[in-house]
Amino acid sequence: MRFRLAMTDTTRAALPYGLIVLLWVVAGAVLPGFAKPGHIRYMIELAAVIGLVGIGQTLVVIGGGIDLSVAATITVAAIVMPLVSFAPDTTGIGAIVLTLAVAGGIGAINGIGIGYLGLPPLIMTLATATTLQGLLVIIAGGSAVTVNNPLLVWLGSARIIGIPVDILVWAAIAALCLAWLHGTRTGATVFALGTNPLASRLSGVAERRVTLMLYAVSGLTAGCAGLLLLAMNGQGYVGIGDPYLLSSIAAVVLGGTSILGGRGTYAGTIAGAILLVTMTALITVVNASAGWRSIILGCLILGMLPLSGRDQNR
Amino acid sequence: MADDRVLLSAAGISKSFFGNPVLRDVSIALAAGRIHALLGENGAGKSTLINILSGALPPNGGTITIAGQTLPALRPATARGFGIAVVQQELSLMPHLSIAENIALGAAPKRFGLIDYGAVKERVTAIARETGITEPLDLPVNKLALGRRQMVEIAKALFRNPKVLILDEPTSSLSAHDVAILVGLIRKLKGQGLAILYISHRLNEILDFCDHVTVLKDGALTADRPLAGMDAQGLVRLMVGRDPNDLFPPFRSSARDELVLALQNFRTAAVSGIDLKLRRGEILGLGGLVGQGQEDFLLGLYGAAEAAADRFEAGDAKAPFRDVMAANRAGLAYVPADRKKEGLLLPHSIDLNLLLPSLARSSARMFRKRDAERALTESLAAQLSIRGDRKRPVQALSGGNQQKVALAKWLPLSPSILLLNDPTRGVDVATKREIYLALQAMAAEGKAVLLLSSDTPELVHLCDRVAVFHKGRIAALLDHAAASEEAIVGAALGVNHGVAA
Amino acid sequence: MSLYWAIQWRRNEGLGALFLVLAGFLILYAILFPGILSIGGAGRFVQNWFPMALVAVAQAVIMLTGGIDLSIGAMVGLGSVVAATSMGGAFGIAGGTAATLGMGAAVGAAVGVIVSIGRYPAIIVTLATSFIIGGAALLILPRPGGAIPPELSEFLAGDHPTAVLMLILLILGWKLYQATPLGMGLVAGGDNPIGAYRSGVATRTARIFAYALSGLLTACAGLYVAAQTGSGDPVIGQPFTLAAIAAAVLGGVSFLGGQGTLRGALAGSLLMSVLINVMFFMNLPPVAQYVVQGLIIVITVALPQLKRMLRRIA
Repeated sequence: MRFRLAMTDTTRAALPYGLIVLLWVVAGAVLPGFAKPGHIRYMIELAAVIGLVGIGQTLVVIGGGIDLSVAATITVAAIVMPLVSFAPDTTGIGAIVLTLAVAGGIGAINGIGIGYLGLPPLIMTLATATTLQGLLVIIAGGSAVTVNNPLLVWLGSARIIGIPVDILVWAAIAALCLAWLHGTRTGATVFALGTNPLASRLSGVAERRVTLMLYAVSGLTAGCAGLLLLAMNGQGYVGIGDPYLLSSIAAVVLGGTSILGGRGTYAGTIAGAILLVTMTALITVVNASAGWRSIILGCLILGMLPLSGRDQNR
Repeated sequence: MADDRVLLSAAGISKSFFGNPVLRDVSIALAAGRIHALLGENGAGKSTLINILSGALPPNGGTITIAGQTLPALRPATARGFGIAVVQQELSLMPHLSIAENIALGAAPKRFGLIDYGAVKERVTAIARETGITEPLDLPVNKLALGRRQMVEIAKALFRNPKVLILDEPTSSLSAHDVAILVGLIRKLKGQGLAILYISHRLNEILDFCDHVTVLKDGALTADRPLAGMDAQGLVRLMVGRDPNDLFPPFRSSARDELVLALQNFRTAAVSGIDLKLRRGEILGLGGLVGQGQEDFLLGLYGAAEAAADRFEAGDAKAPFRDVMAANRAGLAYVPADRKKEGLLLPHSIDLNLLLPSLARSSARMFRKRDAERALTESLAAQLSIRGDRKRPVQALSGGNQQKVALAKWLPLSPSILLLNDPTRGVDVATKREIYLALQAMAAEGKAVLLLSSDTPELVHLCDRVAVFHKGRIAALLDHAAASEEAIVGAALGVNHGVAA
Repeated sequence: MSLYWAIQWRRNEGLGALFLVLAGFLILYAILFPGILSIGGAGRFVQNWFPMALVAVAQAVIMLTGGIDLSIGAMVGLGSVVAATSMGGAFGIAGGTAATLGMGAAVGAAVGVIVSIGRYPAIIVTLATSFIIGGAALLILPRPGGAIPPELSEFLAGDHPTAVLMLILLILGWKLYQATPLGMGLVAGGDNPIGAYRSGVATRTARIFAYALSGLLTACAGLYVAAQTGSGDPVIGQPFTLAAIAAAVLGGVSFLGGQGTLRGALAGSLLMSVLINVMFFMNLPPVAQYVVQGLIIVITVALPQLKRMLRRIA
């Protein structure tokens, strides 16, 4: 099989946007209420959670790795936040900062194992995920925790000029990510690392430090996503983050980033996240079950594979 | 006794990669009972020709004739079926499988669907005897040294009773003892009527036992004749197209007195006891047989491998570098031997490759300035004559141009010491000369160059001094005047004890 | 045949330490819980261990080809629901068993085709197929249900040494397979894919067969679990994915391909089974096994690197 789809990164990222527009137009015409501003706003809010996790996942994947611990980190953030709330902290910002620090810390542990100890990303993040899973049950014991952090409640329900604050938060962090990835020098080295770590190291790229940073950011954004979930749901429980592991990877792959690393952009992941939410909404509307949703998600990823990455060595 | 029956021939073969022509209208005929040498510079197209003859690659034009059939291309399975066996430079052995399994891989006799291990043992033992493999047959191949693995690879080719045997630089990692076994084996196979195609850089080998020679230069055929009456000079002239001395620019020394590097008892995993001083503007060559520690020495200097020293002075640094970034900050740059695997980001643009060390270097400025970057890559490309659209992936360039990119990317950092690992390997003749001139220009600017080269004439013609490595130590440190090919090769083989400079 | 056994014996190098540790833990277990020393006790232990052993082998087979299978948990679930729903009525026990195992082999082969011919990385393909397979399981049985005929449960999980016999058959079968060109091709293809192809090894066929075998074994594990519990459960397989990787890694199977043995994977799975049982009897919460699994993987993979670092400091 010698054909290769010669697409640029931009084309590959534009595809899911096209698909979204198509689906929204068709669904809006066929299903009443689908294309109403309220529903669209709701879908994008849901997409914000995937989008936030997707920031870290995109960065890590472009850098040549993968982060299988994001679901656990999301849950950790959701469970831990109420536990670190303390009385003098009236705005609630202290608890949020602490929670994010914990999430970033988990990511940093991944980054140390992968960047400094040379552990394969798959193994390290899988191990972190299972360890956290166990610890979480021991900490939270299976009951749900309700949130009453004022800042978080505000985040979950407020609107500025009609746009929900959580979407604005996503937009702000997304802009930061894009600026960093495509506009800074270190951002460029991430592409190099994902393409050829040895050549990058010999060219002076700070391989270990950048890797640590990528995974720490992944933990951080997963923490943000967890807080957002908490704000939207009002409560957190063990397992709240579970669906987001596959969703984050799906969003990355659907957005045209190659799972093998070295190529791609977060702009595509944004579309991937929205596309996923759109598909879920459509499936819910036609009353399909969890089983079908799962199958379609899997098929979508498989479908994107010819466009993103092949293993050159086989 | 040579017999004129042609077993395998190719006519009018041409092949291009990414638009670069690598072979142009090449024809070759392999006759039974004849040892046919294939000569050519690095990058002349020899490996591509072998790949086409063995079916690993299809040609873009031309035909291949075998067993009376003329075909536009071969496939690996068809070639094997016709009895063509290749021993490549890149070994096709399975590191974790045993010697016996590797030799019989893909061709083991079967009985009731299972591999007939009894028959395998018999035949493998016989072939092992012929190729001098004395290690136990159940030993995993990754426990063998590189030279021994080469012999297993050769045994593997012989296991299939080939009619045509193609050997691509089989002696490059062999000890003298194994070379002798191999030569004896080749002579015996010739007597049995095999057609043998032998690629090597070692002219003395070719003159010793080959019967016929085909010479390739820049992808085209320049000679196809019996070896009778030829000598080494004549061969070189055929390969290079001019007097060998014309390839190199006239020697000039830019070495000044000031030291940029001072080492005392520098040691890494593969070298020890290295005492060396490098002066500003000096080109110091690192010679010796492959694998005597030269590469580990460079990597240790560069901070890419563990190193220790009693005395280490490079720029401001007083101890061996802990990592590459520290070495870069002190003004060191490294161009690896394997540019595809270690030196370049193949799928990325020429621009990005040229910019990488500049982007990686720590600096106060966080954001990229695209205009400044464009201007920089434009000037680098102009400096080293890298032509064409710089947005192309760097893998679309020829080997020579890729090497230029691997070198040019360091210039914006103004390195004071350049560590070059076999910079002209796989590079065409014209580009080689460009690189030599560039090196001399950089030396004149005051940069010091450590030039590791497997090409002895390079060391002879370019270097102020040559350090010849042998078993992890510097066996001889020769001044330009004393660094003749004989002296270097002699020191490399441990024969002479050289003069310290 | 002596050459064959000599080669196989060489492959035991490196397993010595594992076997010693395993023996040590078995002795410890026997001291703590002498019940295992009786035939009944040993039989029950093997029955507990059996599904773990099967999935460890299934994972090892894939890892030998140089890939990782993230869909093992999903397939166990699918196997259990297919078994539980196909044995009633016309199919009967034999038909149901054939359906389950056939499904496993067919799905496995399909995945193998995608990985092999598409040349996509196994990790992302199996991540996607895990959701397709999981979704299919949910479609067949949205909640635990179905029924396994009690005779089958009795035969497999009752007082018969069926599990032991099946394991012995598995080992013998594998030894036989390794002596075929295809079997050798499986390991060769993982060790040096390009070299194997150049040597005329049918790497593609070998790989597809490996995936089919792996699917069959995993589906069999699902069937066995269903027989143990008496019904099918679509999500019962979740813990198996990581446990399979942990067991294989512990057993010396390298995920780089071409290195490792089945007996190593079996020993690894046995060790983990013993550990889990010990923890259970020591009244540790079941989720503690997740923590331990995570730590085991990290330590095993990091061990060579840690040793190197310690040597440098010393």
